[in-house]
Amino acid sequence: MTPPIKVLYIDDEENNLNAFKASFRRQYEIYTATSAKDGLEILDNLEIHVVIADQKMPTTTGVEFFREIVNTHPNPTRILLTGYTDIDALANAINLGHIYRYIAKPWSVLELHNCIKNAYDAYMANINLGNKVAELEKTNDELNRFIYSISHELRAPLVSIMGIVNLVKLENKQYSDTEYWNLVETCANKLDYYIQKTQQYYKNIKDNSPIEKIDFNVLVNDLINIYALPNRDIQFKIDIQQDIPFWSDAFRLEVILGNLISNAIKYQKTTEPHKQVIINITVNAKEAEITIHDNGVGILQEHMDKIFTQFFKGRIHYGSGLGLFIAKEALNKIKGDITVSSAYEKGTTFKITIPNAK
Amino acid sequence: MQNKGKIMLVDDSDIDLKINAKIISLTDLFEETISCKSGEEALDYIKRHLKNPKNLPQLILLDIHMPLMGGFAFLDAYSLLPTSFTANCHIAMLSSTLDFAHIKKSEANPLVTRFLKKPLQATELKKLVNEITLARL
Repeated sequence: MTPPIKVLYIDDEENNLNAFKASFRRQYEIYTATSAKDGLEILDNLEIHVVIADQKMPTTTGVEFFREIVNTHPNPTRILLTGYTDIDALANAINLGHIYRYIAKPWSVLELHNCIKNAYDAYMANINLGNKVAELEKTNDELNRFIYSISHELRAPLVSIMGIVNLVKLENKQYSDTEYWNLVETCANKLDYYIQKTQQYYKNIKDNSPIEKIDFNVLVNDLINIYALPNRDIQFKIDIQQDIPFWSDAFRLEVILGNLISNAIKYQKTTEPHKQVIINITVNAKEAEITIHDNGVGILQEHMDKIFTQFFKGRIHYGSGLGLFIAKEALNKIKGDITVSSAYEKGTTFKITIPNAK
Repeated sequence: MQNKGKIMLVDDSDIDLKINAKIISLTDLFEETISCKSGEEALDYIKRHLKNPKNLPQLILLDIHMPLMGGFAFLDAYSLLPTSFTANCHIAMLSSTLDFAHIKKSEANPLVTRFLKKPLQATELKKLVNEITLARL
């Protein structure tokens, strides 16, 4: 047997309460109160499913009562009873009291009965939805924590492997020249790259990092130093127009620019004698406009709408399929925008705008 | 020439202890490496040798993620050791963490001279030892 439906009926006229009880006591568990104050006490102590209140009561009207409990007791479904068709009261009941149904006095048993049953279904649907949301939030939270922990756990032994490779190279020059050690190192670095991207992704969905003052000159030069190390033959043309302070989420900005700059460096043509990356940044009070252009391999037209999808890789498999996906996710978080234009074998241009957060 | 000192490794991973001890011995910067499998073991060693300063390390490479006593908990316990020892000893965190907060927290701690990323690089260690020696002169 399902537990009985708990109905609270508030009316200052005892006769109405008694009539209600007489009609419905077999179907429902009925609680009654003669004032809003008494009704509230019942709501505070019991899990009521449906609340019915008369509009015309001394001190507190039905609508005023519903309005009071909208935030403190949001779950019970609310039904307003009234003998007057007062349009203002009705509008208030809907807009402020969030009522489910409006019933005119004198009520018919059948109408009220159906109304209570429907109200209970609405109550249950609402509760179930709430439970589902809580469940999903919990699962999501657990998944996030799992990603965080597992990426830490995966990285520790990987870093040990990198240490062993280092050691071999230090200890025995000749032995370490064998191709195998270089292969192990390449694989370890690649695996590490994936783990680092996973952590970037995790941090991006989770944290709300503080807004900091950004100096684009410093940031861009730092990033180029990190990513251009093995590619000394690329020429960088950097033009940064920043006369006013720019405020943004430093972590996400670094993720976005880092991924785009490292792509511009990575996807160069091996045959190109004048490898070039051009970065233009202009900052105004509203936003920063950033263009990153390279004369590299370019993107095939049919791939253009997929490049921001996770694990999408182009024909040349340098990447993890995560860089642009993460950059786009990070941009979404800080309400930035990105567009891309590219010509295959000629080069690619990314244009991003990021709002100035102060 | 100055006598080579001792270095202490605190790390719960046997493999990392071995690799790092080997790298340290190849740099020829220290006369001895004291390997400890936990923060507790390291504190215990230090306390046992307080009366025998020549057995004590001048540099400690400290892991962050360790069961029971982690790197930061070790730092708290370390700060209570007599200054006669701590004044002559440096600590560098050595971790595979990518967690920004951990790195910042390490750099902000007055007891920590440097944050080093795993895998330990011989060149990084040499640089650090150089700086410490210069600071002493």
